[in-house]
Amino acid sequence: MLLILVIGTAIAFDFTNGFHDTANAMATSIATGALKPKTAVALSAILNLVGAFLSVEVALTVTNAVVKLQTSSGAPNPELMVNNGHELLMIVFCGLIGGILWNLLTWLLGLPSSSSHALFGGLIGSTAAALGFAGVNWMGDGTKLDGVVGKVILPAFASPAVAALVATIGTWLVYRITAGVAERYAEGGFRWGQIGTASLVSLAHGTNDAQKTMGVITLGLIAYGVQTDTTTVPLWVKVACAVAIAAGTYMGGWRIIRTLGKGLVEISSPQGMAAEASSAAVILTSSHLGFALSTTHVATGSILGTGLGRRGAEVRWGVAGRMALAWLITLPAAGIVGALCFWLGDSIPGYGGPLVVFAILLGLTGWMMAHSRKSAVHAGNVNDEWHSEVKPGASVADTETVSTKA
Amino acid sequence: MLQLFGNAIGQVVAISILVGAGLPALFAFGVRALAVGAGGAAEVTGEAGKPAMKIVAWLCFALVLAVIAVGLAIIISSGFGYKVSFEHVFPTFIKK
Repeated sequence: MLLILVIGTAIAFDFTNGFHDTANAMATSIATGALKPKTAVALSAILNLVGAFLSVEVALTVTNAVVKLQTSSGAPNPELMVNNGHELLMIVFCGLIGGILWNLLTWLLGLPSSSSHALFGGLIGSTAAALGFAGVNWMGDGTKLDGVVGKVILPAFASPAVAALVATIGTWLVYRITAGVAERYAEGGFRWGQIGTASLVSLAHGTNDAQKTMGVITLGLIAYGVQTDTTTVPLWVKVACAVAIAAGTYMGGWRIIRTLGKGLVEISSPQGMAAEASSAAVILTSSHLGFALSTTHVATGSILGTGLGRRGAEVRWGVAGRMALAWLITLPAAGIVGALCFWLGDSIPGYGGPLVVFAILLGLTGWMMAHSRKSAVHAGNVNDEWHSEVKPGASVADTETVSTKA
Repeated sequence: MLQLFGNAIGQVVAISILVGAGLPALFAFGVRALAVGAGGAAEVTGEAGKPAMKIVAWLCFALVLAVIAVGLAIIISSGFGYKVSFEHVFPTFIKK
């Protein structure tokens, strides 16, 4: 039964991963009007679905990057396998819950935070609660980039800067080269470029992110003993994860799309194309070199870079600062949730523990969903004028009351 | 650790600038050539069109698409245990 809960929450996490990250690929195309909001999310969903099947790497050892639950061959550590892998399943279950809750909270606040950091944070927290800090892979063995520092923390600081640099250069070049071309004419041409580059980012997202959940579910199956093969992901797991991430993408995290597309920089088509080209290039090269970066950090850095590369463009540093803060606390916050869930679930014997934790997840999810209704952002108002807003979605609420009066 | 990281990120920066900023620049050349080709309202100066430039424009766009296609082929094929070889100038798939 615990296995079913793990699979369910893993797929739920994949879903939040999809809707949290729609913005990374599509925020700029929606903001410039290159694509209608609904068309954009549908296109992105299809490409995520395709991407999920184009596995870049077998992701069975995904958890090895941050925690010591598996051996390097992918098999779970034997001491975690007793009682049908109960302890390992509990760790994974609580880690996933930490990831989901943090994803939902940042979505409520309209902040683009990294879904992979949320997942890793949750896993680190629940592992530390279960096995102590020694169960966490902090640095690896030093011979290659590994562990929390090498695979999560260093890339997190570097990736926005790299993406911003590439996008700044790209934007500057594009504006230099097209000087003398009438603005309306250029906008039309660059819209096509924008759609193409945004599609590449969606495809890359599908190949990178759906993998992680596939790896986690397969780990659960092996721990429970229903699968012994440690080299392949079962087809139904692939299909389930691909469909979950695509469905999440289609739902669209409109609050985050709004922040990235309208909040950070007022974006034009050439800037949008430069941003997405930079994101696609950085994500694809880094993951090909076996060094996966967070799509969210890269996309945000790129959008910021286009604001820096175009003369006279305004970057809202206040918004950027709030995002940076959210990134800094993503890992520890998801970790604390993961650890608390583990302690709670472990202190109640039998199936009571996991069920109580699951009930808390449902309760908090419901509360956040209800809370989001107060200032709903959707396909219809995602592009409304941005007022410097303290509360996310507040500006949308303002313009709505104005328009109903008028 | 820091040195390993420096090497990895250095590679990412070099390739990303080449592709991530170079392709948009090439695309921008295409847009500009197209505008020169159309002339009139497409340009700020409003000169008469030079139709030959349209061919240049479409060559630019085709080159951008070709580079993207090769890039995707390299990445996807490595996931299936193949790599792309340029031994015969034209990219061909060989098993790793």
